[in-house]
Amino acid sequence: MKFGNKSFRRFGVGFILSWSLIPIYWVINTSFQTDAQISDTPSHLLPPTPGWANYKALLIGDGELPSLVRRSVINIFIECIAATAITVILASLAAYAFARMEFKGRKFFLFVVVMTMAFPTYTTLIPMYRIMAMLHLVNTYLGIILCYVSGFLPLATWILFSYMQSLPAAIEEAGSVDGASRMQVFRLIVLPLTMPAIASTAVITFLFAWAQFIFPLVLASDQSTQPLTVIVAAIQGRHVVPYSLLSTAGVIALSVPAVIALLTNRFIVSGLINGSVK
Amino acid sequence: MKKKVDLLPYFLVSPLIIFIICLALTPAVFTTIAAFFKVQPLNPPTHFSGLENFRDILHNAEVRSSLGNTFLYIIIGVTLSTVLGIFFAVVLQRRFTGRSILIAVLILPWALPGVVEGILWTGIWDANTGVLNSVLKSLHVIDHYQVFLGQNKFLTILAIEVVQVWQITPLSTILILAVLQNIPDDLYEAATIDGSDAKKSFLHITMPLIRPGIAIAVVQAIIATLNIFDQPYILNGAASTGNSLAMETYAVSFTNLNFGQGYALSLLITLFTLFTSVVIAKFIYKKVEY
Repeated sequence: MKFGNKSFRRFGVGFILSWSLIPIYWVINTSFQTDAQISDTPSHLLPPTPGWANYKALLIGDGELPSLVRRSVINIFIECIAATAITVILASLAAYAFARMEFKGRKFFLFVVVMTMAFPTYTTLIPMYRIMAMLHLVNTYLGIILCYVSGFLPLATWILFSYMQSLPAAIEEAGSVDGASRMQVFRLIVLPLTMPAIASTAVITFLFAWAQFIFPLVLASDQSTQPLTVIVAAIQGRHVVPYSLLSTAGVIALSVPAVIALLTNRFIVSGLINGSVK
Repeated sequence: MKKKVDLLPYFLVSPLIIFIICLALTPAVFTTIAAFFKVQPLNPPTHFSGLENFRDILHNAEVRSSLGNTFLYIIIGVTLSTVLGIFFAVVLQRRFTGRSILIAVLILPWALPGVVEGILWTGIWDANTGVLNSVLKSLHVIDHYQVFLGQNKFLTILAIEVVQVWQITPLSTILILAVLQNIPDDLYEAATIDGSDAKKSFLHITMPLIRPGIAIAVVQAIIATLNIFDQPYILNGAASTGNSLAMETYAVSFTNLNFGQGYALSLLITLFTLFTSVVIAKFIYKKVEY
């Protein structure tokens, strides 16, 4: 097999590394430079005088900008963690029923789940805003969390369903012979065995929630609930904010998903594959 | 003994179904119906207006240009992400030292928010401080710094779409790789014995057999590119040079406050997405047998 030969692989590996890492390296690099240094030609490949000045300017102190950023970091964690927890719990209950029980309407409900996965964002954006406005949930955590959960539940259910379906039925039968109820079988046997898929679902849901922009942009019009992504875009929109601070805000916003992705990439890959096989 | 209806499964799926009905199906039905009504909060009352919203939206010059732009986003995005996805997947096909680390690095761009990616790539494309200009000038490819974003329409769209390709290629790669790894090694060995070289094996074994993976990758790329919003919003702001359909939907609804036209446009995008996905999937996706 010539295609696996060394020079092709070396080129490919080099290409993937530079493609993925150069843009990330560059934003980190500029976040440690002053604006004058960023404007120098040619650009500095390394920060000439690295320091935490930009990070301090964005995160520490009583100014308007740092308090805005700090608030939005708290908001994004609350929204992502709550949405992930609710999604995973509800999805695993539903997936258990779909994978392990016979009931009328099972096929139809599954079809509806798959169909909603294909909805583009913009089908639901405006009515979602109007529903939330009607329920007085604009500018509340609850509004954003409900919106996220509804968006992520179908995929989460699908990933967990395909995984639970692949588990051998014999294990649970042993449990029910011992007199355990179906919910005990779920809690004591199915759930522990499904842990890898639950981890995948949780990580993918959290990353999706972290990346949300247009829904919170519409559903959170004031700072009390705006997540970091919306604030980063708002900082970018004010043209007085220099690129040094903007790139620093970018690094802060990418650090959490980047670390999660690097640590849990196995779960992400298996989850994405499980979620896509139709 | 009479058999009772088993309520437990309904109890377990009910939260999911309630969420789907309230926050996915209701909005979708609402969009479909309201697209035929005049809905303008600043100009009441709301009333049935037939196809007027569709007519107005299709005569709107901004919408028309965004339609053309979105078409370009889709063509560029789907082509680049699929070609790169196949290339990356072939690189990762066999086991080698460091392969799992490489996959972790490959996934990174997929995990980052579109907004942040816009900011990352601003540092690359920028006309005054961008690293691309600096590199090209040092290599004497250009004499003075170029403007990539906001002037030339094609260049703007290309530059913005590259950012989205950066985000969606990891998923394409993973989807294609999953299929690629199921191809038995014997096929390649037999082909090599028969005198096939790397290029022939790739064209006659790899390409036909990874078609299902490519089909799924293309569908996800179409859905992503058709809905592009974050990247042009950050990289190009409100400038109309590279406006996408999604940005236009947002502008029509929340800037012009013409919800009726917003619904009409959303409905068209939805129908187009579903239609293209099904057609493409049917066209490329065929079960393969080894």
